[in-house]
Amino acid sequence: MSRLEPATAVGWARVNLFADRRDTVITFVTGALVVVLGFRLLRFVFVTGRWDIVRVNLGLYLYGRYPRDQLWRVVVAVIVVAFVGGALAGIIARRRDAAARAAGTPTDDRRLGTRLRDLAVRVWPLLLLVVVLLALTSTITPTLVALAMLAAVAVGRVLGAAWPRRVDVVFFVLPVLLPFVLLPFLTGPLGWDKWGGLMLTLLLAAVSMLASFPLGLLLALGRRSALPAIRTIAVGFIEFFRGVPLVVLVLMSDQALGFFFPQSMLPGKVVRAMVVFTIFTAAYVAEIVRGGLQSVPRGQGEAAQALGMAPWRVMGWIVLPQALRNVIPALVGQFISLFKDTTLVFVIGLLDPLTVADAVTKQRDFELSNFAESLIFAALLFWVGSYTMSRESQRLERRLGVGTR
Amino acid sequence: MSTTGVNSDATQVGGTGAVMIELEGVDKFFGDFQALSNINLRVGVQEVVVVCGPSGSGKSTMIRCINRLEQHDRGRIVIDGTELSDDVRNIQAVRRETGMVFQSFNLFPHLTVIDNITLAPRQVRKLPRAEAEARAHELLERVKIPEQAEKYPGQLSGGQQQRVAIARALAMQPKVMLFDEPTSALDPEMIGEVLEAMRQLANDGMTMIVVTHEMGFAREVADRVLFMADGEVVEVGTAEHFFTDPREERTKLFLSQIL
Repeated sequence: MSRLEPATAVGWARVNLFADRRDTVITFVTGALVVVLGFRLLRFVFVTGRWDIVRVNLGLYLYGRYPRDQLWRVVVAVIVVAFVGGALAGIIARRRDAAARAAGTPTDDRRLGTRLRDLAVRVWPLLLLVVVLLALTSTITPTLVALAMLAAVAVGRVLGAAWPRRVDVVFFVLPVLLPFVLLPFLTGPLGWDKWGGLMLTLLLAAVSMLASFPLGLLLALGRRSALPAIRTIAVGFIEFFRGVPLVVLVLMSDQALGFFFPQSMLPGKVVRAMVVFTIFTAAYVAEIVRGGLQSVPRGQGEAAQALGMAPWRVMGWIVLPQALRNVIPALVGQFISLFKDTTLVFVIGLLDPLTVADAVTKQRDFELSNFAESLIFAALLFWVGSYTMSRESQRLERRLGVGTR
Repeated sequence: MSTTGVNSDATQVGGTGAVMIELEGVDKFFGDFQALSNINLRVGVQEVVVVCGPSGSGKSTMIRCINRLEQHDRGRIVIDGTELSDDVRNIQAVRRETGMVFQSFNLFPHLTVIDNITLAPRQVRKLPRAEAEARAHELLERVKIPEQAEKYPGQLSGGQQQRVAIARALAMQPKVMLFDEPTSALDPEMIGEVLEAMRQLANDGMTMIVVTHEMGFAREVADRVLFMADGEVVEVGTAEHFFTDPREERTKLFLSQIL
């Protein structure tokens, strides 16, 4: 089997695909299956599929019932985020180069063309989504917005790499402050409950991720606390919210809270959903982080203690950084899960992309047909988000793995 | 009692004669197991004490009690005039003055060598970065690895890692250094370089307690050698007397096994 073959395509195929009669049969059967399924898929996407249902309702999938005359707010927010993202990328690249020069290790000297190609490969699922969206639109505006975003990223990247180091701190604080500015701006005079579609998904997922992480961290530390009262509260919180189905919590946020508080005191449905997703995810994050804390050898904490560091410094500088690096895969897995679980808001009547995908088939023009097309498009939206998170987490793991073991 | 003979009294200090470390009637239990029983030990300023004994004899536990990585159950431990109590400030004051080197190095794998060394001086002693780094480079020079400053611990050999660990402990400018089997996890060809760094430290007048089985090192550097078994100090004496004229059967047995 392990005969040496010349390193050619034919040689490779002979060794791996046609080594003996059984291999040959398996190769032909699977090959035929792949060809048939591939052909059918392509025929559906490009020939038989009726994508009008998506084309006509594109706005609903993307932003639900958000008023069309307020959409400029979304455009502004998206461009600001693109600029800040680009600037951060520029700052990080500049700092990494400076660190590499200090250490005498090779700096990143790729040409601009190579950089752009590498970036395109890195974010190809997002690019695919943009292409699909633009192909489904009939006006020029979305294309202009997409171009403006690209420009904002590029300008941010160039500026971020060029400005002096002391400005950087502004941009490290900005991502934390930005949500507090952008979210009220986006909501404007409308209130949260007008949010829908992909925008709602992103809002719920982003806010819950950002909020559940620190909360989960505190719970994990609380569970290891020496004080019985704190430990009991943390354990109780974690075990209760892990033990209840998420859909029950989502329903309760809408139905049951009214028994305890007057309606006038309660925030809108979207905010309540945010709180539910945050609490639920925090309980899981807490257990993931606790596992990470246990994975750090005891000697690490002891070495730091022996240097006279106070317990909270030992945690913050030595134990936690190593613990978190060890749990990136599990943590991102939890966040991907959260991202998809936001579809559960259909039970309290919010319009997420999945609800939209179902609802539009009931329009008179479509009369319960084209369900496949509608679902495939909704699935694409979620897949692009989940897969991008997964790829970025793998990159992060590789980067942070530098110099260990 | 003379300080030159071999006996079981470990309270006769060497070094300059002033007392740096004092253990008085120290007991330590792990559950029902008594790890230390009635330990009395004094270590003088600039004295080097080597502690040896079979595994499970309480050597590591004893030096881990000295900087409170383990808590003793009875008796008194006084370091440079500060008694270890439940007062967190006392514990941290003692730890600042007491460097420790571990068998498994315990360098911080997520930080570069220079950051490993400068972290505590900057965080605990509040040294400015530039000053901390200048001192770190001096220390790396002293342990003979100045060129490794920007590397991560995982990129170094075991001997180099242990020398970084020594530099990291010294960066806090401790008055006492505790070594917990510093060469036991090393490949044989790397033991020499670590012992050399320790020898140099002893010559510079550092007060040291070294748990080790490197008897050549003990003979050459130690002012006193302490033999422990079953949580007790069995025998203590100058290196010369200890190796040539042990009194206790347990000591003789141990020496015959490792020499």
